[in-house]
Amino acid sequence: MRKQLFNVGAILQGLGITFKYMFAKRPTIEYPSIKKQHAPRFHGLHELRRYADGKERCIGCELCSSACPANAITVIGAENSPDARVSPGERRAASYEIDELRCIFCGLCEEACPTDAIVLTPRFEMADYRRGAFVYSKDRLLVPTDAGVGTPPDERPNGIPADLGRVAEVKSTTNVDRGYSATHRGEVLKTERKGLAG
Amino acid sequence: MPVVKVLTDGIGEVDLTDIAIYRQRDGYRQWERAVRELQSSEVLDIAERSGLRGRGGAGFPTGKKWSFLPAGDKPRYLVCNCDEAEPGTFKDHMLLERAPHLVLEGILLGTYGIGSHHAFIYIRGEFKRGYEIFSRALEAARAAGFVGKNLFGTGYDLEVTIHRGAGAYICGEETALLNSLEGKRGEPRLKPPFPAIAGLYGMPTVVNNVETLAYLVPILRNGPEWFAAVGTERSKGYKIISISGHVRKPGNYEVPLGTTVRELIEIAGGLREGRTLRAVQPGGGSSACIFEEHLDLPYDYENMAKAGSMLGSGAFVVFDDTTDFVKCAFNLVRFFAHESCGQCTPCREGGHWLETVLHRFVEGRGLASDLAMMRRVSSTITGLNLCALGDSIEPFLKSVLQRFPEQFEARVLREVASA
Amino acid sequence: MSSAPATSDLVSLTIDGVPLQVRKGTLLVEATKMVKQEIPVYCYHTKLGPAGLCRVCLVEVEGTPKLQIGCNTPVAEGMVVRTRGENVEKGRAMVLELLLVNHPLDCPICDKGGECDLQDYAIAYGRGSSDLADPKTSKPKAVDLGPTIVLDEERCVVCQRCVRFDDLIVGERQLVLKDRGHRNMIATATGDPYRHNFTGNVTELCPVGALTSKTYRFKSRPWDLRRTETSCTQCSVGCRMNIDLRHGNVLRTMSVEGDDAVSDWWLCDRGRYNIGYIDSPERIKQPLLRRDGTFVQIGWDDAFALWAKAIRSAIDAGGPERVAAIGGGRLTNEEAYLLARTMRSLGVKNLDWRAGRQRQATPGSSGGTLLDLERAGAIVTIGESPAELAPVMDLRVRKAVRHGARLIRVAAQEAPPSMPFQDVADVAAAAAAIPANVTRVALIWDGVDNALAHAAFAALSREGRTLLTYIAGEQGNARGAEAMGMLPFAGPGYHVADAGHDFDGICDAALSGKIETLAIFGANPVLNSADGAHVRAALQAIPFLVVTELFMTETAKLASLVLPAAGAFEKSGSMVNLAGDVLPTSAALAPPDGVLGDFEIVVGLARALEIELPDSDEIERATIAAAAALPVGIAFGDERFAGAAKKDLSGEGLRLHVLHHAFAGGGTLAHDERIAALQPEPTAAFAAADADRLGIRAGDRIDLVGAGGTIGDLLAERRDTLAPGNVAFVGLRSGSAANEIAVGSRVRVENIRHSDVPVEA
Repeated sequence: MRKQLFNVGAILQGLGITFKYMFAKRPTIEYPSIKKQHAPRFHGLHELRRYADGKERCIGCELCSSACPANAITVIGAENSPDARVSPGERRAASYEIDELRCIFCGLCEEACPTDAIVLTPRFEMADYRRGAFVYSKDRLLVPTDAGVGTPPDERPNGIPADLGRVAEVKSTTNVDRGYSATHRGEVLKTERKGLAG
Repeated sequence: MPVVKVLTDGIGEVDLTDIAIYRQRDGYRQWERAVRELQSSEVLDIAERSGLRGRGGAGFPTGKKWSFLPAGDKPRYLVCNCDEAEPGTFKDHMLLERAPHLVLEGILLGTYGIGSHHAFIYIRGEFKRGYEIFSRALEAARAAGFVGKNLFGTGYDLEVTIHRGAGAYICGEETALLNSLEGKRGEPRLKPPFPAIAGLYGMPTVVNNVETLAYLVPILRNGPEWFAAVGTERSKGYKIISISGHVRKPGNYEVPLGTTVRELIEIAGGLREGRTLRAVQPGGGSSACIFEEHLDLPYDYENMAKAGSMLGSGAFVVFDDTTDFVKCAFNLVRFFAHESCGQCTPCREGGHWLETVLHRFVEGRGLASDLAMMRRVSSTITGLNLCALGDSIEPFLKSVLQRFPEQFEARVLREVASA
Repeated sequence: MSSAPATSDLVSLTIDGVPLQVRKGTLLVEATKMVKQEIPVYCYHTKLGPAGLCRVCLVEVEGTPKLQIGCNTPVAEGMVVRTRGENVEKGRAMVLELLLVNHPLDCPICDKGGECDLQDYAIAYGRGSSDLADPKTSKPKAVDLGPTIVLDEERCVVCQRCVRFDDLIVGERQLVLKDRGHRNMIATATGDPYRHNFTGNVTELCPVGALTSKTYRFKSRPWDLRRTETSCTQCSVGCRMNIDLRHGNVLRTMSVEGDDAVSDWWLCDRGRYNIGYIDSPERIKQPLLRRDGTFVQIGWDDAFALWAKAIRSAIDAGGPERVAAIGGGRLTNEEAYLLARTMRSLGVKNLDWRAGRQRQATPGSSGGTLLDLERAGAIVTIGESPAELAPVMDLRVRKAVRHGARLIRVAAQEAPPSMPFQDVADVAAAAAAIPANVTRVALIWDGVDNALAHAAFAALSREGRTLLTYIAGEQGNARGAEAMGMLPFAGPGYHVADAGHDFDGICDAALSGKIETLAIFGANPVLNSADGAHVRAALQAIPFLVVTELFMTETAKLASLVLPAAGAFEKSGSMVNLAGDVLPTSAALAPPDGVLGDFEIVVGLARALEIELPDSDEIERATIAAAAALPVGIAFGDERFAGAAKKDLSGEGLRLHVLHHAFAGGGTLAHDERIAALQPEPTAAFAAADADRLGIRAGDRIDLVGAGGTIGDLLAERRDTLAPGNVAFVGLRSGSAANEIAVGSRVRVENIRHSDVPVEA
């Protein structure tokens, strides 16, 4: 009898947890209709930016490809025609390809770029059925001419670009203002570290 | 006053461009004597014993220079450097226009002295009048039988060719002059080989200044001892000094070497009323300034070098207390940058850089860091250049930066400097 | 004579604490390399000598107050030199800082970035920062200097290597330094396009990115390139050459530093720039069989089977004399050897490499090396000069002339060279024109007229004089082909063999129906032989003509079977250059799919014919033995090489001479659009007397009409050095009627159109 009562208590305790979470805020989000906010310097899909006058920033110098530790970038340069300039100087990128399957999203290309042309956006959805589709060329990397200049690397918003759809209102695991807790398998190693850099 | 009249004798009194008047005053007598009575080696010996040093700037002993020519049957040439363009120098200009026959006789004697049969005179492009006067003088001398074939019946031939420059300062540098004379771009040659070994058209060549050659005439007339008796221990004889700047009577003054700096200023009439001396540039645009403490130094090669400057071509520029040394420095550096042939890096780039920076100072837009940079750049490029032009940028700039830093500091843009 | 210098010629000195002995007169910059130290240089170049302009090669010499320039300071006994240390580093850092004062920092877009001396030295010796606070001087960028070169004035560091190359090496003196001070700029003296046969070398000499090749501009960065060293096979000099590939495309070719024996470190523009044909879409990529007048694609197995069947049936019907093979001048030694061996094993004796105007390629036992040539005291050219046939050899001629050699041209038709020369009418006059004290004479022949060569050799031979002979002909490996036995009368190593027909004989036999099948390997006789119309008729008379080619040439169009062959950069092997040097060629890239090398083609044929072939080791041994064989039995102007008596070409009118030009012709030149601007304007040169008689002024447009056709719209030129009665035509190209008119036949001038602006002759 006592044993049975104990069991009822356990059931109630369990139900209590269940009921508690029925009213708690849900941690799951309905991806892909709702998306999670990222760390401010999340490294996602690349983007080739433009100048305000519409010219490409990329000059085809290949410094990104030589900096790339994964050999994911292939650039072939060409000469700008003085009549129809694609980029400001004499040189332009005739072809710019990134194999996103090889890419390790380290951001060294962004560091190496002398003109801030290549930047890593927070976009991450690149799923496809064909491997070949992961080789992104200029037609997909370049900011469309009517979409402004692209995201400057230093002014990246703390979140997701508007064109990615509805953004989840969950708090990110990391927050610049609040700091974050460093955990390992549930154990908090370090808490409330202020800011990412500090 | 130690002003003498040796080369300047008769200038301003009689028309020495007239060969008849020149001959009345013993003209071409030494030339005739040399060809008739003296061996070339004797002329060389006289030049050597007189202690005559090059009057163009470097002050190299003339006889010694001649003796560097290798023996052999290759043709050899004498080139008279009349491309006088050093800022502040105007003595050759005067000699060419006022005493062309004296210059010519000097050239003839020099050519004979090195055993050559062909002399060239390279006349600065701007000296149009001098060129015309000298051309007439040469024709007159040729007509009188002093230039040409079989001179005085001795079988000795001598030809003189006149070449006009095109206005480049760098062509006053002897190897650039030779290039220009050959019809090439006027830029200094890499040395070695020196002109004495491979000069004009690859042949042994001596290049002498107008004044140097002109002094051969009185030296031959009066003997080498007469010339060597004047001057200081290693700076013998006389020199025409072109005094200019803040003096009352600027002009060419011929004096014995060793006359003090103070005397030279007095010869030129002294400073104007109420002015005080700030600096003297004793040897042309390429020389460093000397100051009040050097006033009693004898003006000769050694003492000017000891004072950190040089005698150079004898261009003596006096600066009083109204002088803006920033502008002076800019003017000279601009000159050297403009006249750089541009073949070697330190002179081409260094000169232009310093010019740009000094221009900012003149406009009052200097930077505090520029002062150290100008000292560093100007001193480091000195000695790295292919020819002396690049090494000429530093001396004046350095001496005035050191002596009058307040003039430069006053032009530093304060807002930027404190930012 | 021992090669080790006598002790008295040696000077002992110490460089960076290392004692060494070097030859007297050695410059410090060279001596330093011997102790494995580097002195940075911009203006100094081993082949151009010192200029003392850049001032970056500063060294400290003990006992001299100022820093010395390493490039113009010769070694001296007991000299103590330091190539580093505080003073040296300070001086060098200053020079580098100054060089960068006006040098744009556009390294990311500069073609030199990554292999730039200014970058490298700025990092190795520079300060790392600059006090420069003012804007840099602005100068013209992307200046179109000529058909090959683009100049960026801002990047120029005024080392004048290009100017000195043009003056000291080429002697053209087209490039000059204009203006002075920091405003100075490189330009051509006249403002005309920069154009001669060696312009591309300035892009390699330029230590920065001021001079770049139009063909390579912005195509790649140096670290992308994969390099293969090979020999150039465009002409018979065989310059050592580096091929740089990216993504399987040949992007540029570079000379090989240190190749003193062959190229003297230079390349001609033909060798450097004629690389665009490799990926031309017009290349044949499948065997083509003529069926009912059109070509159809077939497989390789079928092609070999058809070919073998044709040979077998020809031999069965009339014996091996009804079979013939032509080729070798464009093949490697191994290919030529295997071809000759396969054919001879069938009993075929009608073998020849000659399919153009050249008759002989081996200059006999008196043949000299290219290094000998530059030490000659007199140089006599008979026939066409090597200026267009072997341009890099011509640089040796220019070098010799600069060192005082006398250049004597016998009955020359070309324009006067840009160096001192003497034109004489015949070989007797040439012999008389050689100064008596000259002990080493070079005789250069184009390989065409054997009787003339024989006479010249006899006339110039003299007691106490070394006569060195050279043949600068048309095809790259012509000498190798002769050594490999592609001759009707000699087998490998010049061993005498049973004589068959030479090319002329094959043509004559074909016209009388005695040749059943002929295989032409890499030759275009319809365009290049002296009488194209005759050759065309002969080839059309052959029932089964096989041609291996890269492109549908005039000859390939006549074939029954066209086989796609690999190009020069797509196969490995060896060649023998005109001086007898055996040079390796290395495949830099694979041929396109479906294309075989000539070696594989011969192997395929042999298999189809069931002929036993030697293994590759034996081929290699035999090839080397044949290539190294001394041409002892061969005379200069050997009569065995001479062609049959010429057709009677006499008649009324001017005698037509078709002169070679490095960029005029078919084949690889016709299918390379990158070098279109380098092809010469078709020009006819007349002797002054003929021009006056015909009323032709320089700059006029004229037509030349001969027995075979009309060469239309030629630019007329007056040439005082040309003998009256001759007209010299330059500008042969595919489709031109020029090869329909026999070389040496008579032409008349028609349709003279005077130009409005007379051109000064």
